[in-house]
Amino acid sequence: MSAALLPKPQMRGLLARRMKFHLLGAFVVSVGCAALYKFGVAEPRKRAYADFYRNYDPMKDFEAMKAAGVLESAPAK
Amino acid sequence: MANHSQLNFQDAASPIMEELMGFHDHALMVALAICSLVLYLLTLMLTEKLSSSTINAQEIELVWTILPAMVLVMLALPSLRILYMMDEINEPDLTLKAIGHQWYWTYEYTDFKDFTFDSYMTPTADLPLGHFRLLEVDHRVIVPMSSTVRVIVTADDVLHSWAVPSLGVKTDAIPGRLNQTSFLASRPGVFYGQCSEICGANHSFMPIVVESTPLANFENWSSLMSS
Repeated sequence: MSAALLPKPQMRGLLARRMKFHLLGAFVVSVGCAALYKFGVAEPRKRAYADFYRNYDPMKDFEAMKAAGVLESAPAK
Repeated sequence: MANHSQLNFQDAASPIMEELMGFHDHALMVALAICSLVLYLLTLMLTEKLSSSTINAQEIELVWTILPAMVLVMLALPSLRILYMMDEINEPDLTLKAIGHQWYWTYEYTDFKDFTFDSYMTPTADLPLGHFRLLEVDHRVIVPMSSTVRVIVTADDVLHSWAVPSLGVKTDAIPGRLNQTSFLASRPGVFYGQCSEICGANHSFMPIVVESTPLANFENWSSLMSS
């Protein structure tokens, strides 16, 4: 009798294949974490500072602080 | 000033501090990438059936030498950029001296009007409502905003350190030595700091308060102080 022959499984290089796969996976995870931090924390922070100073009026802020009485050099009247 | 459970930096009040915050984000991102890589590989190693007769690892050894070298260069270049930026010759508009004593600061403004004053911490018993405990002082360091200010720091007795985190300044006060630092306050406001070198029993009780105001207000204040 002749049974259908199964295809010969891969016998060698199994560790190398696993290592290649997971090293790639590790780099993807690591770059992904870095990208998450960069676009989730670092870039929003830079944008927040840019937005704050874009239309910032220091004199108006100073007058508000003076009125609130928090400045030693400019006490509230 | 920092809130009670704050772990991150205080809001930047000078361009250098903004740069430092950006660099910190960059360095932390690199550290996060490396830690997640190591954690992934560690989990892999711990869940694997042990085998392997690897005897030739030339390629991977090349990779794990070159890659860390590149990472170090990625860290070094922005770091050196900011270091040189901090040391630029910047022709300050105002120079003042900060002298550390046990346990208070003395400030000397000798550029235009010549005056000196001591700055003691406000005791908690005398603290007005709404003021910050262990951070307020009787006489603040008033500086003009958006102007480069040079501070020459020294000490009279033991080591101290003049630090204001939101301005990105920390300079050791060493007896017999003059250390120089400079900053530019980007906006008006009140910025707090504390002595940053152990100097005795009341090391935690000699804070620094810098108040930045428009130039006209600074001039009024310095005229009042000198008269």
